[in-house]
Amino acid sequence: MSRFRTATLGLTAAAAAAVLLTGCVDRAGAQAPADAFPSGDITFFTPTQAGGATDLTARTIATELESELGVSVIVDNRPGGAGSVGMEHVAGLEPDGHSIAVLPVEVAMLGHLDYDTDPADYDFLAQVNSQPGTIAVPADSPFETLADLVAAAEAAPGSITISNAGAGSIWEAGALELGDAAGVEFQGVPFDGGAPAVTAAVGGQVDAVVAGIGETAPAHEDGRLRVLAVFTEEPAPALPDVQTATEQGFDVVIGSWAVIAAPAGLDEEVRSTLESAIQVAAESEAYVDFIESSGNIPLFRGAEETSAFVTDEHERFGALLADR
Amino acid sequence: MNDVIAGVGALLDPTILLCLIVGTLLGTLVGAVPGITATMAVALATGFTLTLEPLQGLAVLLSIYVSAQFGDRVPAILVNTPGTPASIATTFDGYPLAKAGRAGVALTSSALVSAVGSLASILILVFLAQPIARLALSFGPIELFALVVFGMTMMVGVSNGRIAKGLTAGAVGLLLGAVGRDPISGDHRFTFGIPELTSGLPFIAVIIGVFGLAEIFNQIVEARRGGSEAPIEQLGRWWPDRAERRSLVKPTAIGTGIGAVVGVVPAAGGDIAGIIAWDQARRASKHPERFGKGSLEGLAAPDSASTATMGGSVTTTLALGVPGDSVMAVMIGSMIVWGLQPGPALFVQHPDLVFSISTIMVVATLAALGLALVRMQGVVKLLKLPLNALAVVIITFCMVGTYAVQNSVFDVIVMLVFGIVGLGMRRWGFPAGPLVLGLILGPLAESNLRRGLLIDGPLAPLQSPIAATLIALSVLALVAPAALRYLKGRSKPRVDAEATR
Repeated sequence: MSRFRTATLGLTAAAAAAVLLTGCVDRAGAQAPADAFPSGDITFFTPTQAGGATDLTARTIATELESELGVSVIVDNRPGGAGSVGMEHVAGLEPDGHSIAVLPVEVAMLGHLDYDTDPADYDFLAQVNSQPGTIAVPADSPFETLADLVAAAEAAPGSITISNAGAGSIWEAGALELGDAAGVEFQGVPFDGGAPAVTAAVGGQVDAVVAGIGETAPAHEDGRLRVLAVFTEEPAPALPDVQTATEQGFDVVIGSWAVIAAPAGLDEEVRSTLESAIQVAAESEAYVDFIESSGNIPLFRGAEETSAFVTDEHERFGALLADR
Repeated sequence: MNDVIAGVGALLDPTILLCLIVGTLLGTLVGAVPGITATMAVALATGFTLTLEPLQGLAVLLSIYVSAQFGDRVPAILVNTPGTPASIATTFDGYPLAKAGRAGVALTSSALVSAVGSLASILILVFLAQPIARLALSFGPIELFALVVFGMTMMVGVSNGRIAKGLTAGAVGLLLGAVGRDPISGDHRFTFGIPELTSGLPFIAVIIGVFGLAEIFNQIVEARRGGSEAPIEQLGRWWPDRAERRSLVKPTAIGTGIGAVVGVVPAAGGDIAGIIAWDQARRASKHPERFGKGSLEGLAAPDSASTATMGGSVTTTLALGVPGDSVMAVMIGSMIVWGLQPGPALFVQHPDLVFSISTIMVVATLAALGLALVRMQGVVKLLKLPLNALAVVIITFCMVGTYAVQNSVFDVIVMLVFGIVGLGMRRWGFPAGPLVLGLILGPLAESNLRRGLLIDGPLAPLQSPIAATLIALSVLALVAPAALRYLKGRSKPRVDAEATR
């Protein structure tokens, strides 16, 4: 029996050690002085599951950052609560530059939807891409233009159904914004993610879908959907022949985006080191190719511009989501 | 025919074989660790495979997808813990079989019928992709709601005669499923200000808690009381005998059929298919009373069904560009980056790719089957550990696996709490199956019903022929057995039991 007890103790100790080691990874670089930045591995948090667009953005950038900064950049997924779990986790970390995060557009939205998320908790380092919003109808839909769809909604308010990626998602906000601009009321139908929302439109269960261009452009090209408008100022590169909503008389510019941020209170030098490393990563061929192949727009905006941009978006979503 | 040669020939590259082997080993391993699902494994592998050639990458991802379905049966049968949600229904009969000293036969049979389900469904992909894909598109929210309701009717079957207790557990599961944000309005429900709860109770943590941890706790309690229930030491024979093999045929056929159809439906996967197949095989069986108590038939149906969803899911994904399940949702992302946009155009632009993909899946199935049959010797060694050592190993695996799902300590706490809840349920005779079904199916039913109502108004479930049929079948499944008993009591039994199907 004692032999078994020893084995049990050994296994328990091993298990405890493993758990402790895992717990320590986060804090490995915490006490390092700022002048030697980076003095250890960088943890790159993403508030989404592995495998999604945001996660792959983080992973592609992480690879480039590694060669730029000369340390390991470890992607750490903290999904849950529409991203709020990961965002709140990052907001509470030490602002030493060894913890950074890729934050999607939700960082400017969740605060207006009863979550404790506030852009003021972060120092924004850069914006690295944008995904234009689009509105699309099934291929056999009678609606040929945005005006047709709006006219139908005017004739019977609430009868036109528009699917979106979920309650409180950027694409639900996109349909709201279109309704506001056109002065009509659409019936939003939230799904559990962008793909099922697009499927519902392909299958003809809803009249239209508002989704990112990365999800609608391929379906537009092989004739399963017809994109009626792109919600950008200039026509989008992925769909050069489709008119913008503004060109059709409805002033709607809305889209998803990703920024890179750190907990608020970053040292000035650390910030500029990270900012220039991210610029190199965001302009690298691997990253640009990846973003373009998924239909989105790669870009780089510096720390100052990005902070102003996020603040603007935060205010704008506050007004838009108030009458949800 | 040229496409077949081109598609299969493209795989004759040794690096692709290497990718297949790596994927199969990885998939079997992650499948066997409770908590780490095929979706997660494929998602994590995506980070590495994006830099490979498309066929190499597909070989890794698809073989993980296929072989995880073999690995996850092992903990389900041996320690009552589903390795992934696809093997929830495997525990219903797999674990009782193991407790009866027939773990060897259970493991072998499970691997064999899983391979049959997988291979049969790949044939669908090869020959019927286009027509079947059209059927998939007619499954909107209201049809999905009706399918889920049909799945829920098996709460009665899985209660094993303790119907009041089973339905109580099911109702609690449905209530737990209401935790989180409202799927339509986004309002917080029962979240108590805990951010982790806004996306609902983490159901993988709950599954591991009420199945795996509760079982270990229960064994500890039993051992303290004088060890009435010995751990599984005896695995018995490995190979099913002739009569056993024959008994596998019918449930495997039922399971494969159901799995193929459920697989085609977008967003419905192996967990739902396994549950429906278990209940349908029970109704069709000559020995329904043995289901849930260690019936090989009750093992064959869900195991063949959940692997049979794979062909259907891949079919929907490739032919429509619509993800057939959560693994495929991740894979579509990779395929787009490789320039292989799934959708009707794929069959025109890359017809050879369909044959490459199905060949990869066939080879991966055979490799996973081979691995499943060989590795069982190692399993025996693990089970020869004494209970106290084994308990530590299993609890450690449960904790690490649960943590790994979302890198979240909260999930581990949920798992521990539900381990204790599960122990209580077991001591007082409440079955755990209905609780988990309520938790998984409740939110699916609610969100899809409400979407359907938003789109088509209050009569939506009756306006769709598919939904109306499925709901009628659900009512029949609940009412028919009781009505039959009543009729039999009054007059001579003249209705065949088969009619209850």
